[in-house]
Amino acid sequence: MKALEIDSVSKSYGELKALDEVSFHINEGEMFSLLGPNGSGKTTLISIISSLLKSDGGHIKVFGQEVGPDRHDTKRLFGLVPQEIINHGFFTVEEILEFVSGYYGIYKNKERINFLLKKLGLDEHRKKLVNQLSGGMKRRFLIAKALIHRPKLLLLDEPTAGVDIELRNSLWEFVRELNEKEGMAILLTTHYLEEAEELCDRISIISHGKLLKTGKTKDLISDLTQRIVELKLTEEVQCASEFLTRQEGKKLFFEVPKKHSVGDILKSLELDRSLIEDIKIKEGNLEDAFLNVVQGARNAE
Amino acid sequence: MQNSSTKHPSGFAMLYYREYRRIVRVIRQTILTPLVNSALYLMIFGISLGGSLEMAEGFSYLAFLIPGLVMMGCLNNSYQNTSSSVTNSKFHGDLQDLRVMPLTYNSIVWALCFGGLTRGLIVGSMNYFMGMAFHYFYYGSFLPMHSPLLFFAFILIGSLCFANIGIAVAFWAKTFEQLSAVGNFILIPLMYLGGVFYSVEGLSPFWKLLSQLNPLFYLINGVRYGMLGKSDVEPVTALVVSSISLVLLYFLSRQCVKVGKYQRF
Repeated sequence: MKALEIDSVSKSYGELKALDEVSFHINEGEMFSLLGPNGSGKTTLISIISSLLKSDGGHIKVFGQEVGPDRHDTKRLFGLVPQEIINHGFFTVEEILEFVSGYYGIYKNKERINFLLKKLGLDEHRKKLVNQLSGGMKRRFLIAKALIHRPKLLLLDEPTAGVDIELRNSLWEFVRELNEKEGMAILLTTHYLEEAEELCDRISIISHGKLLKTGKTKDLISDLTQRIVELKLTEEVQCASEFLTRQEGKKLFFEVPKKHSVGDILKSLELDRSLIEDIKIKEGNLEDAFLNVVQGARNAE
Repeated sequence: MQNSSTKHPSGFAMLYYREYRRIVRVIRQTILTPLVNSALYLMIFGISLGGSLEMAEGFSYLAFLIPGLVMMGCLNNSYQNTSSSVTNSKFHGDLQDLRVMPLTYNSIVWALCFGGLTRGLIVGSMNYFMGMAFHYFYYGSFLPMHSPLLFFAFILIGSLCFANIGIAVAFWAKTFEQLSAVGNFILIPLMYLGGVFYSVEGLSPFWKLLSQLNPLFYLINGVRYGMLGKSDVEPVTALVVSSISLVLLYFLSRQCVKVGKYQRF
């Protein structure tokens, strides 16, 4: 069964098409990332999944059940970590987690609350008001809130925005643990592409409300990026190769599709190997693939 | 049609508990401030100005004023509680929890209503006891209660009506200005013109008719009848009009919860 099915979902704000027939799915137990520039429609889509917004068309199912404001059984299947920090006014961290448990109909949830507070480093802050927490702690608190009812799908909308690197790493470690140990499916949006590349099995790239690419992370990187190879020679030699992009004195720069190896370059050069002083290889990454797709779409418009 | 689960307990009790905790947490704002207001009304209108007034039915002005102030305390505070709870949640951003989490529209409406009712009843009862104390010190006796059942019925219906209005307005409002406009330009005039401070018997036919179009007139006079046994309107008429108002306001607030804005101000 699919953890999440998005089928031709559209949403407009007046003339602006925030989502244009977006379709993709997330498998059970999969970590999936939705990537896109600011204003591309990521948060709109997450808001529709969590019933905060109504779509203009299309269907969304979580573990086979339709989502919607009245679909309370579906709501129990997912947890939402919103992009914006929420404060909660007069109540302490512990009180809010008790209230939220109760909203899910769980009136005795001390064990889970204690586990999450400890796991997310909030145990000593349980009696504090939310607005007394630091930005990073507020993010962790939102994650605790989203996990209070043991959801099977976690929606993380830019959970590491404004969070320092140490905390980011610990958060990702925890998310990975949830995925591996509890089998939780994860939908993640983030601006840190290296994180998505490291964490997620598959990704989708969205821009201006249109889904541009979906696929396995490593396949997209392999299909959409070039390997940059820099050869430093012991003396200046004029070379010719289909992969050569420029030459700066003794330095030669090549862009090679991933399907070709460095050996292919060397063969195409017919160069005496004793002339090679150094080789530097820069592999394409998700950021390159992302920019390739987004800029390609922009140029096509 | 709501697809509420039978396997899981409702979140209603916890949402009501949160409302109760909110009332207690900000008790100065929720309970003490309204009490000071009522004490001032009793002193200024009931004692200072009202000392020289005698009502047509033979009651002192203070006796006439007390049920009106009790009801005004209930109505005002029920409204304030639900509207400020929703508005604060909109301001802080946590109102979206009510939409994202599995709470039915009825759970939300009734939990918020009972929160409003709780605060309304606390302030109303304290107004009642304070009024009694003023009456005792000024006239040497407590006011007897004519019909406790009718008195309590009108208090209950009135508080729930205003709790529902608070929910409807707060879910509808997109800004603080809209919220305060409804309070200042609609509810407060209706409340003051509903007969808290005066009897419509002394008004000209036009103003009398206009007063009778105000639903609050029936609530306030219903409570006055329950306490004094006299009012400007028949208790049955007041009960029917108030009950119909409650049903209509419940559906209005439920609709606002269904289609209202859950996102941050």
